[in-house]
Amino acid sequence: MTCVPGKPVVDQAPPSGREMIVIAAGLTMVCLFAAMILGGLYFFTQPAKEHNLHVREETMIRGLLGLTPQARIQEVRRYLKREGKDTQVIYLTGKKLAQLELDGKEVATLDVPNEVATAGSAEEKDDWVKKQVKVADPEHFKYAGRFFVGIEGTQPVGYVVEGITLGFKTWIRFFMAIDSAFTIQGVEIIEHEEDPGLGAEIVQRYFKNQFAGRSFEDIEKISVIKDPLPKDWQDAVEKLGDMPFRPWLEKHRDMLPKNPNIYAITGSTISSTAVTVGVKAALGNFRKRMNIVGKYL
Amino acid sequence: MSEHRTPPPVSTMLMRGLFEENPIFRLALSLCPAVAVTTAVKNGLMLGVAVLVVQVLSSMSGSLVKHIINPKIRIPVFTLLIAIWVSAMDMILAAYFADIYQQVGLYVKLIVAFAIIISRMELFSMKHSVVPCFWDGLGMGLGFLVGLVLAGAFRELLGSGSIYGIAVLPFKPLLLVVLPAGGFFTIGLIMALFNWVDVKRGHKLPAGGGGAHG
Repeated sequence: MTCVPGKPVVDQAPPSGREMIVIAAGLTMVCLFAAMILGGLYFFTQPAKEHNLHVREETMIRGLLGLTPQARIQEVRRYLKREGKDTQVIYLTGKKLAQLELDGKEVATLDVPNEVATAGSAEEKDDWVKKQVKVADPEHFKYAGRFFVGIEGTQPVGYVVEGITLGFKTWIRFFMAIDSAFTIQGVEIIEHEEDPGLGAEIVQRYFKNQFAGRSFEDIEKISVIKDPLPKDWQDAVEKLGDMPFRPWLEKHRDMLPKNPNIYAITGSTISSTAVTVGVKAALGNFRKRMNIVGKYL
Repeated sequence: MSEHRTPPPVSTMLMRGLFEENPIFRLALSLCPAVAVTTAVKNGLMLGVAVLVVQVLSSMSGSLVKHIINPKIRIPVFTLLIAIWVSAMDMILAAYFADIYQQVGLYVKLIVAFAIIISRMELFSMKHSVVPCFWDGLGMGLGFLVGLVLAGAFRELLGSGSIYGIAVLPFKPLLLVVLPAGGFFTIGLIMALFNWVDVKRGHKLPAGGGGAHG
């Protein structure tokens, strides 16, 4: 070889066959080394990462619904199953496993054993459901979203729906708190890869809190506008989070009709619209689904 | 093929990163993250520690593999090595330091493209064995960390009236410095300070920041 480390490469002739093999072998070795280190680390750190995510989600749900420390959070998971030509919807709530037709007609229900209802991992629940509904082909069974019920004592006090929407580059995952009258109590962005300084501003109070206090009818009519965010409305939405939702709504209720639309983030209309569309769809779907799954909670 | 140069004494290698060839204030490398994260001491410190670890590991592993790789492919291999350690840092931070990860997670991934790391591998690791590479990496990493903390302290104190999140002033003296433009002013001012110290010491530093000797 004509190359000496640290000296400029003078000879730019194409490498010989032997050299090419050496180069390929060197690169392969480094890649193998990389794969080993990263694979090993992934194996050790993934459980901790998932645990962190779980804790974060729970804190967020409690914050959004303003739950007391004694309150319980029950997850409701939704699945789709293809049965011949028909599709069935399956709900796993705290009490029941309900197998329904698309129009809500009941096919079968089952009581859920306590250890499944309180299981921490999603995998455990999914496996149990799969076994109960006798899935022949795993291709025909799909997890299709979830929501959470905040329960004080025995009474449901609010719902948190997980929504997903296509942002500027990839998916934005968000939580949306809803009361029993389908009014939005708050929105939290859980995961996104929007650009810092632009689309990433969707996590800021001045954007995400603009949804709070809107009823189902408000949201149906809502659109994104490019006007500048009025100062008084910005001051108002910045306060939600420092104070709980109910007193906040009482204080600022009269400002909602004056600001019926969502003010887009400057330079990030796509991200702003993405979240708005996502919230709209998630709320609409949730209302439809609650009519069906409500009695199984 | 393995002609190791005699490494300079440890103190020289450490001081070089901290002062003479400080990555930010003398070499003016990786200014973009330096401006972006130094709005507060804490952010600067976290990113500084991450860069320090990645720099040390990359310098050492670069030195280890330099005999088995063809020098023609040293740049892709170096980039790959940096990427390994950055991904490792990313996973460890996400798993065990979730709070910090929320703050600096975005910037940790960007360390892959930090100019200072690959330039140390190219200038130093290619010519020296593992142990001097450790000291050189440590010196450069510390220099970067100290630079971020200095700039962060200046900007946080003047812009937010606090240090490490603790309020020390009842007012915000100069809001401008926490804005991106203020970041450049801050770095320019500290750069001037470095040059001033150099003049006081008798003007020993190479012009243009140096960085050519390893």
